[in-house]
Amino acid sequence: MAIDKEISEKRKRQCSKLVEISKEIVREALEKFKPEELGITWTGGKDSTLTLWIIRQVCQEKEIPLPKTMIIGEGDEFEEIEEFVERIKKEWNVPLEVCRNEDVLKAANYTLNAVVKVKELSERNRAELQRIGFDDDEFPFEAESYAGNHLMKTVVFNQFLERNKIKGIFQGLRWDEHPARFDDPYFEFKASGNLVPEHTRIRPILHFTEKDLWDTYASLKIPYCRLYERGYRSLGAKTTSQISMEGVPAWKQDIENTEERAGRRQDKEKAMERMRKLGYM
Amino acid sequence: MNPEIVGPGCPRGIPGHVEMPLAVERLPNGNTLIADAGDEAGFGSEIVEVDPVGNIVWDYNEGLRFAHSGRRLRNGNTLITDTSNNRLIEVTPVKKIVISSDEWGGGIGKLSDGSHLHYPNEAFELEDGTFLVTDRNNDRCIQVDRKGHVIWLYDKEIKHPHNADPLPNGNILISDSDGNRILEVNRKKEIVWSYGDGSPKTLWWPRSAIRLENGNTLITDSKNHRIIEVSPDGKTIWKFQTEHVDKFYITHVTKEGTFLIACTDGHHQVIEIDRTGNIVWLFRNYRRPAPVYARLTNGFFKELEENGIPKYWVLATRLSEGGGRLIWDEDNKPYPCPGLEYDRPGALFLQQNIAAKVGETYRLGAEIKTIDVKGAACLHIDFYDDFGGSLYRDITEMPSGEYFTGTNDWTHEIFEVKVPPKSTFAQLRLAINHSGKVFIRNIMMNKI
Repeated sequence: MAIDKEISEKRKRQCSKLVEISKEIVREALEKFKPEELGITWTGGKDSTLTLWIIRQVCQEKEIPLPKTMIIGEGDEFEEIEEFVERIKKEWNVPLEVCRNEDVLKAANYTLNAVVKVKELSERNRAELQRIGFDDDEFPFEAESYAGNHLMKTVVFNQFLERNKIKGIFQGLRWDEHPARFDDPYFEFKASGNLVPEHTRIRPILHFTEKDLWDTYASLKIPYCRLYERGYRSLGAKTTSQISMEGVPAWKQDIENTEERAGRRQDKEKAMERMRKLGYM
Repeated sequence: MNPEIVGPGCPRGIPGHVEMPLAVERLPNGNTLIADAGDEAGFGSEIVEVDPVGNIVWDYNEGLRFAHSGRRLRNGNTLITDTSNNRLIEVTPVKKIVISSDEWGGGIGKLSDGSHLHYPNEAFELEDGTFLVTDRNNDRCIQVDRKGHVIWLYDKEIKHPHNADPLPNGNILISDSDGNRILEVNRKKEIVWSYGDGSPKTLWWPRSAIRLENGNTLITDSKNHRIIEVSPDGKTIWKFQTEHVDKFYITHVTKEGTFLIACTDGHHQVIEIDRTGNIVWLFRNYRRPAPVYARLTNGFFKELEENGIPKYWVLATRLSEGGGRLIWDEDNKPYPCPGLEYDRPGALFLQQNIAAKVGETYRLGAEIKTIDVKGAACLHIDFYDDFGGSLYRDITEMPSGEYFTGTNDWTHEIFEVKVPPKSTFAQLRLAINHSGKVFIRNIMMNKI
C-alpha cells in the first residue's frame, strides 16, 4: 500500500532525480567494493527502508543479489516493525541477519529495565564500556541509555563488520535529520581503532529532506511501516519513541517547521530564548 | 589514577594576567587602562594599566568580582564598576577606596531614589564631576553625584544597556544591548538619533558606541563580531572584522584616530587597529587556567576535590552574577551525584575541557534531572579556536542535548557532535540559567 498523498508530475520528476543521485552513489560503491564486501544497515524505519529499496533497484539492474543486511535486535521492538521487516524480507528476498548483543541480553535476563552487572559481562563488552567512559558497576537494560545504546547498537554493528569482513556499509542517514550530520560525506572512511574494524560508511540518501523522502515514498509507491500513519515521525525503541501528532500521518505533519526527533517534552524555543538572553555567550 | 592532560592549565588569579578584557582606554600618558573581568571560575578580576611595551605599571584587584570598567578620573583616581558586587568604587593611585556606592544611603548602598545599583557595567566622569553609570540589570542609565544623588536618568524601553557615552553636546549615546539598538537621547529624554531596527541582522547585542569627530558613530556590534561605522543617515561606511568569532566589547578612539578594542572571553586580548584594519598594537598575556584532558575524565563524579567540587571539573561562576552553588543529590545510588542550584538571570556552569579532533564525530550521553527550572538547563558543548575563543556566536548555537525547563525526572540524554573546523578543544558544560536545580550523572563520551 502506497501512502495517500497527491504528488504532482513535476514533483515526481524531482523525486526521481533524487533517487538517481542515490543510485549513482550505490553504483560507485559497487565499483569500489566487491558485492560480498558490502553490507546494509536496516531498521525497518523510513530512512533505511528507502536506502534498501534504492540499493535493490541497482542490484536488480546489475543482476546481483542484495548485500548482506543487518538489523539490530535491541530487545524492545515494536511488533509493527517486526511484521513489516518479516514481510519485506520475504518480498524482496533480503539476506537478513538479526544481530543482538546476546551477552547483554542474557545478563539482563531478557527483561527491560533489569539491572545489568558489569562483572557478569564478557571481556569484550567490559572493554567497550571502558572505551565510552562508563565507570559504574551496573546499568539498567535500556537501548536508549548511553551504555545500552553503545552495547546494543554500536558494538553489534562493529561485530557485524568484523564477522562478515565488510569493507563498505550502507547507512540511511540524511543531512537534515541532525545538526551533527550537516557536513557528513557520502563516503566516509573510518580507520581501524580500538575495537573498531576499518570500514567505509556509504550514505546514499544524505541529500533527501524529510519531505523529499515522503514524497518519494508516495511517488514511487514504496512500502513503509504503518506506525508512521499513526503519527510517529522517527522510530527508535518501543518504550522511548513518542508520537509527534496523534493520528496524523508523518507526511501530513508540519515537517519543515517542527522537530523530526519526536516527542520533545520541552518548549525548546522558549528555553532557547531565555538562554540567548545570556549575552556573554 | 592520573588523568592524561594534553594542555596544561595555569594557577588562577595571578595579578596582571588579563583573562577577559571588557573595557579599555588610552590614557594621556600613552598607557592603556584595561578592565579585566577575570577567569571562568571567578578569579582574577582587576584593573591594569599597561605601558606601550606591555609592562603592567599599576593594578587594582582588591575584592573585585567581574569588574566591567575602569576609567581614569581627572583627579588621577580610577572609577571602577565592580559588577558582580553591584557597586561603584573610586580608588586612588595608592589603592585606597575614597568612594564606594556601598556607603551611600547611610551605609546600605541606596541611591537617593531608593534603588540599589544592579550589575553596573560602565561609568564615566562627566564635566561637572558627577558620574554617568550604566546600571544594566535595572535597565537604565543614571547620572549620580559622588554621594549617590540621582540627578538624571534614562530608563525608557531599554533592556540591559551596557554602555552610555556622554557626548560633547550634552546628549547621551546609549547601547541598548538586548534591544539591539543604539540610541542618542537628549537631556529631555527624547530620542534624537537611533540605529538598529531590533533585528540581530542589523545589530546583535551591541556593547558600545562612540561618536567620532566626523559625526559618524562607531558601534561595537558584539555578537555579529564586527565594528561598524555608521553615518548620521544610517549608512554603514566602514567595517572591521577578523577571521575569528570575536566578541568585541568596548571600543575606544585614541587621539591619533586609532581604535582600541577589548576582545573579550573569546580572545583575551586588547587590540589597537587603524583605519586600514591593521593591528598596530596588541596586549595579551593570557594563560588558560583549566587543563585540557585527553578524554572525558571523572564523568561519573566518583572523585572529589577537598573543596567538594568533582575532580577535573570547574565550577564556572563568572556569569552567575554572584549567585548559585554546587549541590549534591545525596540519595542518588550508588553514590551522590552533583548538581547546580541557581537563582538569578545569569548562568552557572560545571565544565571540563576535552581534546577533540576536527572532523571527528563524538557521541555524548548523560542522565539529567531538573527541579523547577525557570530558564533552561542543558548539557552542551562549546569548541574553542587557537586563540582560546568560542567558535559560536551565541550559546544557543552550541551543540547540545535537550533544553530542560520545569521539573523532569531522570532523563537519558544522547547527542552527536561533529568537531567543527578551526577547533582546538571542546568544553563540555552542564548549564543552568535563570533559576532552579539541575542534577547530572553518568556522563559518557566516545568517538564514533
